[in-house]
Amino acid sequence: MHNIALGRYLPLDSVIHRMDPRSKIMIMLFLMISIFIPAGVYGYILLAIFIMITLVLSKLKPGYALRSMKPMIWMMVFLLIINCFALRTGTPLFHIGSFTIYSGAIKQTLYIVVRLMMMIVITTILTATTKPLDLTLGIEKLLKPFEKIGLPAHIIAMMISIALRFIPTLIEEAQRIMNAQASRGVDLENGSIKEKIMAILSLIVPLFVSSFDRADQLANAMEARGYDPNQKRTRYKVLKMTGADYTGMALSLCVMAGCIVIGVLL
Amino acid sequence: MSIEIKELEHTYNANTPFQHAALKGIDLEIPEGKVTAIIGQTGSGKSTLVQHLNGLLIPTAGTLDICGFHIQPLLKIKDVKELRRKVGLVFQFPEYQLFEETIEKDIAFGPKNFGTSEEDARKLVNEILPYVGLDESYLERSPFELSGGQKRRVAIAGILVLNPDVLVLDEPTAGLDPQGAKEMMQLFMNLNQKAGKTVVLVTHDMEHVMNYCDHVIILDHGKVKHESNVKTFFMHPEWITSIGINPPGLIRLKLQLQKKGFDIPTSVLTMDELVECVTRQVKDHA
Repeated sequence: MHNIALGRYLPLDSVIHRMDPRSKIMIMLFLMISIFIPAGVYGYILLAIFIMITLVLSKLKPGYALRSMKPMIWMMVFLLIINCFALRTGTPLFHIGSFTIYSGAIKQTLYIVVRLMMMIVITTILTATTKPLDLTLGIEKLLKPFEKIGLPAHIIAMMISIALRFIPTLIEEAQRIMNAQASRGVDLENGSIKEKIMAILSLIVPLFVSSFDRADQLANAMEARGYDPNQKRTRYKVLKMTGADYTGMALSLCVMAGCIVIGVLL
Repeated sequence: MSIEIKELEHTYNANTPFQHAALKGIDLEIPEGKVTAIIGQTGSGKSTLVQHLNGLLIPTAGTLDICGFHIQPLLKIKDVKELRRKVGLVFQFPEYQLFEETIEKDIAFGPKNFGTSEEDARKLVNEILPYVGLDESYLERSPFELSGGQKRRVAIAGILVLNPDVLVLDEPTAGLDPQGAKEMMQLFMNLNQKAGKTVVLVTHDMEHVMNYCDHVIILDHGKVKHESNVKTFFMHPEWITSIGINPPGLIRLKLQLQKKGFDIPTSVLTMDELVECVTRQVKDHA
């Protein structure tokens, strides 16, 4: 449980850590769009270089970014298998039983895996270098213009920050309930399907009960302090863009433009 | 057989940026058939230590001998499953582990996990209910409609029904009113005295340590700071204050009296002895 690397903030001091969350979110957006531009091998090389540089600048250990991919390995394997059998483009390479594996399938699958890996690394860098609260503040500020068309930016941001705030609490709670049930003989690893379902049930029901309790308490505590989502509020922390932010955004826009150019020309 | 712990170490998230050593070499002997208190501040490693007692955690280094099991690093869960039955662990706020539709089913959950038949489990439930002060009328009710104190009784029954040899309790009285806490402690004392069960109690309540325990272990920053029987322990109030815990009322009174010039030997540990000692000195003085 404690080994989940995905989405965890790592308190280091680096250029990327000090950047404005708004620009980091925008850069992530530009890079995500770039990933989905069909720019072939060269596009991916360009992206990979940019991501590598960001990773080095953020002072995160490459091993950490790799570990955050661990939960995705099975998905990647699954995609590989499905794609190999489903796609029939390019030249036939070899046969497995009555199936023929085509070169196009291998190529396409590798693209998907590379895309996924890059997306994971990008989001890992974002969440590892930005405190959850800063992240929601950034989202709120970025959604601000859409308030004119009736989008409740503050409420959305508040919901996200509450959800983020409670992830560690719920993980801890789940761990505690798992320990308590394990002390009553629950064994999540061994046993028949029926036993496993019962084991999971013994974890989920108490978790739900305590989550509703917590939600109730939180709502009361917020109301007791006069929280009103529609009020105007000031901020303790005021976001400010610096040179690094503008440079980062400009560079990521260049990468996106580069991918488009490569995609059109090649 | 007593519980023997040798050079036990436990490190959470080893080899990650979140690495944290919770236990740094614990050497202990927890006597059989006695009530042992484990005290210490938040973060001193109490919870980590008790989770080793029933194999929820496997040590990073060192060994643990308990109920005929030899626990050492890299052991598999499969190998310790039976230990979970012999050592019953009651977590803090155990009422949060209830999940079944009826109280009967919830209490029977443990025995069924250890392979007891439906019928036998039901019998065991009926036997255990009076121990925790509940009667048969509760069997078919939902655990979620009970009061907090009753929920806790049901949760504790869910552990007691396994008939463990060692009972480990992590702050069993937290959040209960004084009367409820007293009844709860009385229940554990009965199990200790009548059924001869070894009880390990994690607590912050020095009154409970004084009134109910035989042996005391003080943990501090993942190490054993002091270990002694309860008498010696309370003869050294500085041990208690050194880890930031308030001594029990009687000891505080004794310290106050000593400050005022009364000559009270360290061996005075009950109210009667204290009263006698003070009256004698007042009489002598007059």
